[in-house]
Amino acid sequence: MIPLNYYLVLSAMLFCIGIYGVLTKKNAIYVLMSIEIMLNSVNINFVAFSAYSGDVTGQVFALFSIALAAAEVAIGLAIFLLLYKRYGTVELNNIKLLRW
Amino acid sequence: MTWVEFSYLIPIIPFIAFLIVAFFGNKMKEGGAPVTIAAVASTFVLSVLVLFDVYQNGSYETSMNWIGGTGLEVGIFIDNLTALMLIVVTFVSLMVSIYSLGYMHDDPCKRRYYAEIALFVGSMLGLILANNFLLMFIFWELVGVCSYLLIGFWYQKPAAASAAKKAFLVTRIGDVLFLTGIAMLYVKFGTLNFVELEHLMGHDVQGLLLPALLLFAGAVGKSAQFPLHVWLPNAMEGPTTVSALIHAATMVKAGIYLVARSYFILEHVPDAFLIIAIIGGITALMAATMALVQYDIKGVLAYSTISQLGYMMLALGAGAHAFGYTAGMFHLMNHAFFKALLFLAAGSVIHAVGSNDMRKMGGLHKHMKITSITMLIGSLSIAGFPFMSGFFSKDEVLSSVWHAAADNNIYYVLYAMGVITAFLTAFYMFRLWYMTFSGEQRDKSYHPHESPKTMTIPLMLLAILAAGAGFSFFFGFQDFIYFGHAPHVTIVHMFEMWQTWLSIAAGLGGIGLATLVYYKGSISPSVFTAGPGRRAVRHMLEMKYWMDEVYMAIAEKGVYGFSLLMDKFDRKVVDGAINGISSGGIGLGHASNEFDKGVIDGTVNGLSKASFKGGKLLWNLQSGRVQDYASVMILGVCGLIVLMMLTGVI
Repeated sequence: MIPLNYYLVLSAMLFCIGIYGVLTKKNAIYVLMSIEIMLNSVNINFVAFSAYSGDVTGQVFALFSIALAAAEVAIGLAIFLLLYKRYGTVELNNIKLLRW
Repeated sequence: MTWVEFSYLIPIIPFIAFLIVAFFGNKMKEGGAPVTIAAVASTFVLSVLVLFDVYQNGSYETSMNWIGGTGLEVGIFIDNLTALMLIVVTFVSLMVSIYSLGYMHDDPCKRRYYAEIALFVGSMLGLILANNFLLMFIFWELVGVCSYLLIGFWYQKPAAASAAKKAFLVTRIGDVLFLTGIAMLYVKFGTLNFVELEHLMGHDVQGLLLPALLLFAGAVGKSAQFPLHVWLPNAMEGPTTVSALIHAATMVKAGIYLVARSYFILEHVPDAFLIIAIIGGITALMAATMALVQYDIKGVLAYSTISQLGYMMLALGAGAHAFGYTAGMFHLMNHAFFKALLFLAAGSVIHAVGSNDMRKMGGLHKHMKITSITMLIGSLSIAGFPFMSGFFSKDEVLSSVWHAAADNNIYYVLYAMGVITAFLTAFYMFRLWYMTFSGEQRDKSYHPHESPKTMTIPLMLLAILAAGAGFSFFFGFQDFIYFGHAPHVTIVHMFEMWQTWLSIAAGLGGIGLATLVYYKGSISPSVFTAGPGRRAVRHMLEMKYWMDEVYMAIAEKGVYGFSLLMDKFDRKVVDGAINGISSGGIGLGHASNEFDKGVIDGTVNGLSKASFKGGKLLWNLQSGRVQDYASVMILGVCGLIVLMMLTGVI
């Protein structure tokens, strides 16, 4: 059996990759994908802990998390679509509405 | 079993009518007008019965606890003053709502109109009947809302919408001060009930000046006194019936009523009386001068209303000792009748002409005799023509001011202002009447016709009162409405005083001058504008003493400027500051350039550049880019984790 730490390290790596993507990618689609990676790294954690402790709750939770991720992508893409219609771009550098 | 026990129905009936009309008005004839009229008529009948009861049995109070343990209550207090106000308000409301049948006949939004009128009447009656300041304030605000709604009744017109907002905001200043005054009274005495307060006044009368003036400030806003009078002329954007009901006869009297109601407080602070009288005098004279240059028939009446309200304040400010209370309330009653009459007659003219502009009128007498004659009666009354109601009350006001002058010389000045106002009032009213009804029709593009009976009958009824209500002073009024001890004036006694002859002379002089200028034409109106000095005066009056501009400037430069400043501060908080410092530094560097170019210049430039860059750096924090904010967030989370590790939480 693969030791738990391997999973955790993999998950941590994925999480960091996700953060890197979120912070550096200019295209909103990439950012959304990076967020997906972060979510999945968490899912790996859930499943790994669940398998090692013999408690099913973690796996159920992972399923919920996947469903949630799907919803999040749907909404995120809808927002980007609207942004694109309005500004003609989804480059995050060009969308600075959070500041005056 | 007395009628006064049913007085709680007086405000409730119009409120019920409001609900019925508001929800089912469209299904009824005339948008629910019969319901409103029936409700107002029944309140009028009840008010008359209550008046008789009060006349026989004295004042009446009933109340129930509102918020336990605080001394705040809901209740009704009826004394002679209340009974008088009830009669005036319900009668004028009845006349106006009947008149509306004709005036508003073609309006598509009749349901809204009659619902709001019913709501207004209910609130106004509640204001009058309230037995404590807080309840009064609540109804005070309600009539303010109704005023807002009805000024903006034709909200499709931008002018009407902005006039409604202006009225609401300007009176709000007074309302806030009024509420502050109420709060101060409550803190000081622990109750707001009129009767209880009156008893407490005997023990502790220190520090009452501020609360008294704050209460008066409420009245200044509501009764359109200087310097808060600017909203009333704009309020004429509403239907003429509304102007007659709310902005001439009833709501604007609420301020006068408040001052009269607070007399038991004011009598302990003589300074407050003086301030009230001065404000009243200034308002009366200033508004009368502004009325001289108006071409809008309702504009003249609006300024006239402000001026007459100033008269009432002036009388109230003369104090109880000089019977100013009686004179002020007497003028209030008469003014309600003749000003409602004048407004409704003006409405009848506007109905026929289709415009407010007096330059388009002229020669209407032969087309609309009833309107013309009733308006003439109203004008004679307000001008103080002998034996009309306005003559008696104006004379009482002036003589009360003269009496007050025995104690304080300032009242002599106010007396002179009152007499000048009387002269100006007579002049501008007859200018209005001649321009409208005499001579030739100046604009032939319309065919004037007399208004329907629903409009002319209220005019005639009001005309009877405008002519005859003055005699009530000698048959009961002065024994019924007084503060302290009742005055005793007889008609014979009146004519023995030279002041009476002076005020007759002022009134007749104004009428005579207007006749010469606008009827006989023997003096050209351009005489008044010839020469630079007179032109400047005229311009000043047309610009209404620049009061609106001053307020705009205050609002724009002060409030808006402050907001802009804050906005800039928000935007460029760091950038701007650093830029300022750096340019200061650069300037300094330049100045010391000649002295020590190498050292000072270099240092300062370096410093300024450093701070400039620092500013840029900080400015970047607010980049607006999502990812920057996300980085900060993640940094924060990392920081938290480190903190938790250090403190041993994980």
